[in-house]
Amino acid sequence: MPVVGIPVKLLAERLDEALSADTLVEHLQHIGCDVEGFATLRRFKCERCGNIVEITATVDPPVLCRRCGVDYGERADLLVDLGPIEVIRMELLAVRPDMFDPGGLARTLRGYLGQQSGQPEYDLGPVAAEVVVDPAMATAACPRPAIACAVVKNVVLDDDFIKELMNLQENLHWALGRDRKHASIGVYDLAATNGHSYRYRPVGPHELRFVPLGYDPADPDAAVTPQQVLDTHPKGVEFARLLAGFRAYPLLHDSDGAVLSMPPIINSEGTRVTDDSTSFFIDVTGTSRRLVSRALNVLVTSLMELQPSISVQQVAIRYGDERVLTPDFSPQHIQLGVSATSRWLGIPLDTPALVELLVRMGHDVQVQGPDQLLVMAPAYRNDLMHPVDVMEDAAIAYGYHNIEPSLVPTMTVGGERPVETLSGTARTCLSGLGWMEVMTLVLSSEQKAYDALRRPRSSQHVSLAHPISRDQTLLRTSLAAGLLETLTVNGHNEYPQRIFELGETTELVPGDTGALERRAVGGAAIGERMGVTEARAAAEAVLRELGYGIRTRGAELPSYLPGRAAVILAIQGDETIAVGELGELHPEVLEAFKLRHPAAIFEIDLTTLTGLR
Amino acid sequence: MITLRENEYRLLQSLASAKDPVLVAQLASELQLDQSLVLAAAATLEERGLLARQEQRFDEYRIDALGRQHAQHGLPEREVVKGLRAAGGASTIPELPQHCSLDPGQVGQCLRFLVAKGWAVRRGKELELTQAGRDLSDHPMADERLIRALSGGELLTSEQLIAAGNDLDAAAKLLKGRKGVYKVKQRSRRYLEATDAGRGAAPSATLRRQVNLLTGEMLADGSWRHVDFRPYDMSLATEPAFPGKVHPFRRVLEQTRTVFLEMGFQEIVSPFVESGFWDFDALFQPQDHPAREMQDTFYVERPASCELPPADVVERVRRTHEDGGDTGGMGWGYRWSEELARKPVLRTHTTAATIRALADDPTAPRKVFCVGKVFRRETVDYKHLPVFYQVDGIIIDEQASFARLLGTLRAFYTKMGFEKFEFRPAFFPYTEPSVEVFVWLESKADWVEMGGAGVFRPEVTRPFGCDVPVLAWGLGLERIAMFRYGLTDIRQIYVADLQWLKEAELCR
Repeated sequence: MPVVGIPVKLLAERLDEALSADTLVEHLQHIGCDVEGFATLRRFKCERCGNIVEITATVDPPVLCRRCGVDYGERADLLVDLGPIEVIRMELLAVRPDMFDPGGLARTLRGYLGQQSGQPEYDLGPVAAEVVVDPAMATAACPRPAIACAVVKNVVLDDDFIKELMNLQENLHWALGRDRKHASIGVYDLAATNGHSYRYRPVGPHELRFVPLGYDPADPDAAVTPQQVLDTHPKGVEFARLLAGFRAYPLLHDSDGAVLSMPPIINSEGTRVTDDSTSFFIDVTGTSRRLVSRALNVLVTSLMELQPSISVQQVAIRYGDERVLTPDFSPQHIQLGVSATSRWLGIPLDTPALVELLVRMGHDVQVQGPDQLLVMAPAYRNDLMHPVDVMEDAAIAYGYHNIEPSLVPTMTVGGERPVETLSGTARTCLSGLGWMEVMTLVLSSEQKAYDALRRPRSSQHVSLAHPISRDQTLLRTSLAAGLLETLTVNGHNEYPQRIFELGETTELVPGDTGALERRAVGGAAIGERMGVTEARAAAEAVLRELGYGIRTRGAELPSYLPGRAAVILAIQGDETIAVGELGELHPEVLEAFKLRHPAAIFEIDLTTLTGLR
Repeated sequence: MITLRENEYRLLQSLASAKDPVLVAQLASELQLDQSLVLAAAATLEERGLLARQEQRFDEYRIDALGRQHAQHGLPEREVVKGLRAAGGASTIPELPQHCSLDPGQVGQCLRFLVAKGWAVRRGKELELTQAGRDLSDHPMADERLIRALSGGELLTSEQLIAAGNDLDAAAKLLKGRKGVYKVKQRSRRYLEATDAGRGAAPSATLRRQVNLLTGEMLADGSWRHVDFRPYDMSLATEPAFPGKVHPFRRVLEQTRTVFLEMGFQEIVSPFVESGFWDFDALFQPQDHPAREMQDTFYVERPASCELPPADVVERVRRTHEDGGDTGGMGWGYRWSEELARKPVLRTHTTAATIRALADDPTAPRKVFCVGKVFRRETVDYKHLPVFYQVDGIIIDEQASFARLLGTLRAFYTKMGFEKFEFRPAFFPYTEPSVEVFVWLESKADWVEMGGAGVFRPEVTRPFGCDVPVLAWGLGLERIAMFRYGLTDIRQIYVADLQWLKEAELCR
């Protein structure tokens, strides 16, 4: 999860009372924030493009601007140190993007602390502009049909506001946009467009040219086609995968032809927000109208929290004959039963108590009946899919720390799996013989599971599609390699050594997921004079204590010295079944595992023995 | 009649047969005993009046470094006398080396002995032989005789030297003030002698053996009654012994299982290879959720595809994802893919086991748990392994609630030995409310996150026909072992040092 630094000053000045650092952290944890602690960051601003970066005290100032690419080594004058800033660092809670910035976080805290009741009111001005969406945006050639827009005026652009806007945009891209895939946000200087009429449509890869953000308009080659953006612009290269399979590319321009952006890749240089901008045009494009609308609501209401003096006006989106106004702050209506909530949470709640809790979480509530509430949830919440989500809000407002933990009163009878009972007996037996239990990884490789043991390679194992290391490409089918690897790393310890493991092996089985685990017990003994008798005696002890007799039948098995290997047969009554093998390891196996003493191993499949998985 | 232990018996018999006092050293070699054992036996016999001890003191002489030089070259003052004679009976001291084999230093060092012996007198820088010096014969004096006697290097007693004609007092007087010529050590000889009582008692004394080991034979023939068992030094340490042990982490896993069994939970299992359906979809995890990306989850190449549960169940899950179906929710609003649901993965949590159990039998009341391995595509380092253990459990019960989930978690961690916990809000796609459990760790003086829990969303339970609240949790277990055994590297658990396995106490 990304970590965000919330400036303490911006948060504190939005709360009605001063809180100590400890109290603030406690409150934040109680509302679900994963607080890492306080830190001092330094801010630097790029004078050329306005980009602001925050770095920790231990990191050197940037040498390049990540947005416009200017080299501060050559143009040191373009890097301005804005000084230190105190922040609270916390992990972003992906489902609560409305708490990513000091404005939204303060809004939640104010409600939680009772400084504000119910939903905050956000005034929306009259419709300021219209965006016509080309129906072709919903076709397979260019499937990015949804757009939501807003016009923001009377903005005072100070460094704090710019940085919070940038952070918020980036974090919304991560949390709601899945790295711009589902939603991407553009912010433009309204004055650089005609301000009232826009088009959102697919364009051919080389249909037109525009100057993308970061290119110098004075450069005669700065205007490029959408395809050139994807092929050559750093952001184009980075995000080209989002348009993979598109035959035409999304473009937002005004009705006079001035390009705002090529979503979700890049904005145009001409509509870039500058220090002189006082009004924005904002768009969110994506795959789902619900999502882009929510993302816009989160962004715009947070900006209104950050700078209450701004005014926001709606934009009419025309999808053919359908006309949708965004942003749309109408609340989400959710029906909630009082007693159902009380039962679900296990907290005694009557109607007034529940209403009080919900109001503190920013909801407006109508009591509709003796046990029925209509919850009007704020439009910036993106995580309310079911009444239980609102119940959780009530639990958080109540405080998890105030809930009296109790137990389910119903009597049930417990019981362990039979194979665990058997494993316990085998474990008692082997540790009683003085053998040490080890636990090894179930992930192994062809090299270890087959080659090193001189066993012929087979495909009768689960193999991974994208292994992370050459040592871990499959699920083991035998305990032998893990036992021997343990001996390898214990070469410095006293000999003889006797170890055992009780663990799963995995076999391919048709049906369901195609593979199932077996339970095996294996042991290894190493040291001078450690041979088959050691292994056989232990195997016999295990079988005897589990209620079976043993017979061993000499066999030529690849891991062992010729003439010193056997199949283990378990006997019960008239029945005799092969359940495993034992033997003195072949010197080539010892060499492969870098072992310098003779060693013998045994392995018994408990699943074969008992039929129990 | 007296009864004696073996050493005492043999000592008394030996002394009774000797007329004169016998040296302890000689007795030790005769009886083949260490001298200390002879003396210990003697002390007991002496206490009983059966023998007497005598001690004879003597000096032991040995030549020293300077003495060895004098033995070879003669005393330097004799050289000076020779030199003075050669110079006509007198010489200045600085000129003396011209007349003898000494260097000026050696001349200087011996002048006082020359004068003390009366062989010469000193007048300022002049040295002149006295009459005694002039008449001095080559016959060695007492000091020279002693030096010569010791020159062989062996230890000689004062008796031996006197017997060889040395006058030790005279020699000592002459050598007074000369260091490093010879060494004298005061020694004593110990003799033992039977008293009359001892001689009288010896013939009729009986032997009582002292033994180290009690044997089966002694028990069989009763002879243990007639012997003494030698006492041991009971303060001595022994070689450390270690039992064969259950792996320390296994003990944590077994304790975890025991705790849930004690609380009335039935143990369940599910396969390592799991379908996307049971690992994610059944838990209402959207198909584009980052946890499903190949970056974080092991996808499986073989087997290639999984079977899905009956079509009606799959259909209900599909609708739940797409529009909420009849769960009361609105769904994620995307097109659900059956193909992704069939993709096999290595299970990323044991919640796959509990949701399977719920689907198998959603009838309340039911409590099940699973302790098992889960897989995440993590690079191995001190904090991460691609395989680790979790305990998942669910409670299906009409009377289940979030507060009762917290109570269950509190009971578990209390039984695992933790004393302080905190429950903090969290988010998981399949529970609501969701909670993370933190325990207070004194050694870190901090809260440590242990695992997540919550009440299954209706979107999880309803498609499987379950209409009662289901409490669920998935808790990490390696951490408990690491705290308990003070491990700093998670790899120590799976690539174990046998010394650590031997030494990790069972009580922890």
